[in-house]
Amino acid sequence: MRPPRLALKATALIAALGLSLTACGGNSTGAEAGTSQGVAGEPVQGGSFVFAEVTPINNWQTQAARFYEKANVLHSVLDRLTYFDVESGQLVGWIATDFTSNEDKTEYTFTIRDGVTFSNGTALDAAAVKANLDALGLGIEEAQIQPNVDFSAYESAEVVGDNQVKVTLKRPDANFLRATSSVAAGLVAPETLELDNAGQSAIAQIVGSGPFVFESEKPDEEVVFAAREDYAWAPETAANQGAPYLDELVIKYLPEVAHRAGAAQSGQVDLVRGLQPVDEDALSAGGGQVLAAQGVDLTANQAAVRIGSGKLEDVKVRQALQVGIDRQALKDTVLSDSYVISGSVLNRQAPGFVDLSDELAYDPETSKKLLDEAGWVEGADGIREKDGEKLEITVASSNNSVVIKPAFELIEQQWREIGVKLVNRAADNAFLTNALVDDQIEFFGTRQFAYGGLGPVYGPANNTQTLNADAELNDLFTREQAATTDEEHLKLIEEEQRELVLDKALTLVLWDEVQVYGAHQDAHIEFTSGTAPIFQGAWKSNG
Amino acid sequence: MGGYIAKRVGQAILVIWLAYTAVFLAVQALPNDPVTIFLSTDAAADPATIAQMKAYYGYDQPLILQYLSQLAGLLRGDFGYSLSAGAEVTSRIGDVIGSTLVLAGSAFVVAVVLAVALVAAASLARGARLRKALLNLPPLFISIPVFWLGLVLLQVLAVQLGVMSLFPDGSFLSLAVPILVLAIHLSAPIAQVLLKSVQEVNAQPFVDVLRAKGAGESWIFFRHTLKNAAPAALSIAGITIGTLLAGSVITETVFARAGLGQLVLQAVTVQDIPLVQGLVLLTAAAFTLVNLLVDLIHPQLDPRIINANAGPPRALAA
Repeated sequence: MRPPRLALKATALIAALGLSLTACGGNSTGAEAGTSQGVAGEPVQGGSFVFAEVTPINNWQTQAARFYEKANVLHSVLDRLTYFDVESGQLVGWIATDFTSNEDKTEYTFTIRDGVTFSNGTALDAAAVKANLDALGLGIEEAQIQPNVDFSAYESAEVVGDNQVKVTLKRPDANFLRATSSVAAGLVAPETLELDNAGQSAIAQIVGSGPFVFESEKPDEEVVFAAREDYAWAPETAANQGAPYLDELVIKYLPEVAHRAGAAQSGQVDLVRGLQPVDEDALSAGGGQVLAAQGVDLTANQAAVRIGSGKLEDVKVRQALQVGIDRQALKDTVLSDSYVISGSVLNRQAPGFVDLSDELAYDPETSKKLLDEAGWVEGADGIREKDGEKLEITVASSNNSVVIKPAFELIEQQWREIGVKLVNRAADNAFLTNALVDDQIEFFGTRQFAYGGLGPVYGPANNTQTLNADAELNDLFTREQAATTDEEHLKLIEEEQRELVLDKALTLVLWDEVQVYGAHQDAHIEFTSGTAPIFQGAWKSNG
Repeated sequence: MGGYIAKRVGQAILVIWLAYTAVFLAVQALPNDPVTIFLSTDAAADPATIAQMKAYYGYDQPLILQYLSQLAGLLRGDFGYSLSAGAEVTSRIGDVIGSTLVLAGSAFVVAVVLAVALVAAASLARGARLRKALLNLPPLFISIPVFWLGLVLLQVLAVQLGVMSLFPDGSFLSLAVPILVLAIHLSAPIAQVLLKSVQEVNAQPFVDVLRAKGAGESWIFFRHTLKNAAPAALSIAGITIGTLLAGSVITETVFARAGLGQLVLQAVTVQDIPLVQGLVLLTAAAFTLVNLLVDLIHPQLDPRIINANAGPPRALAA
């Protein structure tokens, strides 16, 4: 009835063919390796730039722009009051030409640049800025838009004189200014703020003052933006102070991770986000560029500790786990050269970063000693136990990172050697949704936008990381947010890192946040401190 | 016949209503409501904001009221509001349904043509080896994973040869290749059932009679065998709509196409409950509708289905 041999042969042949093609897909053009780099040479005018994002999105509401998919695009559509310049580590002017605060950091005054208009012709003046700040700080109840979490101290804003806006805060907030640089604080036309929830979520109806203006959309497949010819208000430190070099920006989506390297190499896209570590070599060998955008605005990738289950209540256990991670092995096996091992919970380039690498060095012997001291002794199966309870702990995380699950798989192996069992629920969104607020699940694998200090992320009001596991720390975060001088602020940020990472070990830090992009050899592009591509300064050698 | 249709339509409505009720109840078993889930993607939501939004969307109502008002909404064509999409569920689905209908509809037609062609070729093939080879194609088709075939074809055609786009750009290949990938997978069960059925029909005495009368093989196949074998294949074709939907999730992801499959994936990933509910309802309705159609066509092909007391099976066309 069914002679199996022929079918088997044919299947095997097709399989072999396909595999060999897939395998050699990366390096068939054989150009020299690692020809990249960014913005060298004289920019070429014109051209259409295709950027492939990871997943299609539909909700473009500004305050909901905490996902890369949205922020990466909205960065080029919406301007902000300020801009964080990575090179100088300073906040510089953008729509605000000047910004000052009172001694107590409870009042901030922004001077609004003259002559800026939204793409619909409405002036971006002090009144428009006030309308935006109110929406960010207070939310828009009629449109069911919640306030921006970075603006939790916001009380009110008033227009002062011709071109100034004075913001009053409920309490001192040393990080408020930095939060005005976030994409989630993008300025929209007052007309946009009048729309209902669906209107403010639709990219076709979001009017900004940025270098690119919405042109057309095919839902879930493509959004096209045209360059704004009269754009003349780039951030103070931007290389290109005028209109974009490009004529057009096309956003597409490549949900299938296996195509991303090929898409950039073949030039079907100029830039693609979400390159897997295993595809990096093939892409650069094939003449494409591997570009690692460092997430200076974000915390390190970390396992934030929750102590509700009691297993991690003893700080010695947490410290044992901290030095029980071999971060170099993590980089060598799961990650790539694009990734930088964490030296603290803050990014290496973030203001106030303290290098704790020496204290974080892999030391399984110390781990074992600490666990012994904490009373966890090895059981028959090699897993430690105390009072009949096994040292079995769980990690939850979203699937946003392409490397998070394999990373925790390796940590699971490393911890097995010190007698700890890790239950790996990383990249399981359904599990995470409930674990997010559950202090019984020991680890939350994550990275967060941290504009300024750690207070906004770990402070008592917003702490979704450790769920306020430590009252003493809450006091420290509150003091940091209320710091009135830069020196004091930075000093407290340093103290926070030592406390969080070493003394209390309430977060196990892994690698600095990075988004790895693949680019065609002719693309010239740089990235913001929040890993967003800067399309306004981008150009293509071949136009 | 009228009673038969009324009964089938009534059953279809009952199935859709039960499916909706089951989904509603299943969703209640989740620890969180749609507003809390949506806001949990942010750093930390203010409890007052959560409460206000829950009240606005009616998620603070008692369950029975939520159920009844949602059901009433459905009858008005209101499927609720998708927070993650920032759009009405109906408009979100409406945005992409056309793309899936084109893909799935074409794939279905191609699959049926492919299956019939394959079975015809296998039945009429003269050489034993050729026949054997053709008979082995359906098992091969069903064992090739959709995503794998799609990936390989794109890798070759789009990346290596550069003859097609990785994106749906409206060109012939960018539509034909995903349709073919889906159709190949889909054609296998149809071909297998049709083949089996054709073999059974061929074993019946009337075929020998036809042959004795001097009828040609292809005349017998197309005029008699296929007609008698069709009902079984039709049933399986109705069931394949499930395969078709599952296949579109994969095909749409691999080929970066907009569509319901992608939307299901997004809705489930972010746990957008109203969107998931709407999609489940739509799927249930599609499934029911197709099977209703199959049930209604069946009697046309085989009157014995309605006339249950027709006695022992007999050949229809001999």
